[in-house]
Amino acid sequence: MKSKVNFDAAYIPSEDLVCREIEGELIIVPLVAGMGDIEDELFTLNETGRAVWAKLDGKKSLKAVTEELSAEYEAPPDEIKRDVIGLAEELLKRKMIVEASKK
Amino acid sequence: MSESYISSAALHDLPLWKKMRGKRALISFDLEITARCNNNCRHCYINLPAGDREAKEKELSLEDIQEIGNEAVALGAVWCLITGGEPLLREDFPDIYLYLKKKGLLISVFTNATLVTEEHIKLFMEYPPRDIEVSVYGVSKKSYESVTRRAGSFAAFCRGLDLLIRSGLNMRLKAMALRSNLHEQPAIARFCRERTKDYFRFDPLLHLRYDGDPSRNAEIKAERLSPEEIVALEQSDPERFQTLKKGCDKLIVPQFSHISCNHLFHCGAGSESFSLSYDGLFRPCSSLWHPDCVYDLKQGTLTDAWQGFIPRVRAMQSEREEFLKACRVCPLINLCMWCPANTSLETGELDAPVIYFCQVAHARAEALKAAGAPC
Repeated sequence: MKSKVNFDAAYIPSEDLVCREIEGELIIVPLVAGMGDIEDELFTLNETGRAVWAKLDGKKSLKAVTEELSAEYEAPPDEIKRDVIGLAEELLKRKMIVEASKK
Repeated sequence: MSESYISSAALHDLPLWKKMRGKRALISFDLEITARCNNNCRHCYINLPAGDREAKEKELSLEDIQEIGNEAVALGAVWCLITGGEPLLREDFPDIYLYLKKKGLLISVFTNATLVTEEHIKLFMEYPPRDIEVSVYGVSKKSYESVTRRAGSFAAFCRGLDLLIRSGLNMRLKAMALRSNLHEQPAIARFCRERTKDYFRFDPLLHLRYDGDPSRNAEIKAERLSPEEIVALEQSDPERFQTLKKGCDKLIVPQFSHISCNHLFHCGAGSESFSLSYDGLFRPCSSLWHPDCVYDLKQGTLTDAWQGFIPRVRAMQSEREEFLKACRVCPLINLCMWCPANTSLETGELDAPVIYFCQVAHARAEALKAAGAPC
């Protein structure tokens, strides 16, 4: 079941993870239990995920993130919006992002 | 655009490694945060007394470790094993653990479990380690303490182990097979298998001391099992022996692939990991203490050690005929305990044959052939 995201809210990566870049790959390392199923589970994002993740700064709302990406990429805005929400839902479900105003 | 934005994998299954195949890249490191231990095990290659002031003063400080951790992470390391000595002897263990963890490293801890407290459990529950590996020296007070030579250590081990097991943390158990606990090996194996989900291993190779202490080395040699005893022990573990049997076409190599090469290192030492001693000595692997293979981090940097020093070590070659005509071309090399590090601990040389290792390899090969292994 996916968690509900607020399209008008800004999100920021949780303090309970470390995001590392190794050989051009983005690796998310959970610090606390509950994000993954096993103790040495590491997470990576696909290209779309990375593009969205890079903009989750706690200041821009998901709506603003969608607008920025629509200006940068040729994909239809509806598709970009679906990707932004889709990723945010997955991240929220795993507690990898938090709503900036609730931090 | 894709439907699945996040994928996950266990450390060794990360797609990243495929991308890095063929490249030399730092993945992990062993950090011996102390050489001191509260036990005094007969077979230990490193332990110094818990109250050894000189050893304590030489230990890397928290700040040193932070700096090394920062550099290791910048070089790409993702996994750190905190070991010793007994790492929980250090009062700043929680600070070391948390710092490295928060740098984005997966952390494993090797411990004898005797010093595990509720506070450690709380720390590990909040910030889980990749795993905790506990050494089991015996399953009765008599045999355990005949190895550790410390009264009360068995009770402390049982208490610590119980805390770890009840916490549900990912744990592994391992045993060293030595003369003082040989009679208890079947019971040790049962004990370990009953308490861990999927992991137990025993190791019959007792390394000699890193510091070459002659009286301690004599004790270690006295604890070593004979080649026949090692083979009998391996045969008594069906899982281990079947694995040896199945893989023996790869273990026994009539046309040894390195036959025309004089390079000493054909193992993974320094390829994707390194070891660091309590006093800042960097080595390509934990057993490698030969002076030509050690880099003092207090006089340099991790980056220089990793990028400059290790390639020089791995380029080392042997001209010793005794080695080139024996070990280098031996089809049993993969059944043998021989490696430049182990032989250096035995002989002081990186390329000298070691009769005991040779005898163990031949005994293993005979046992495999007698059991009908396809080799």
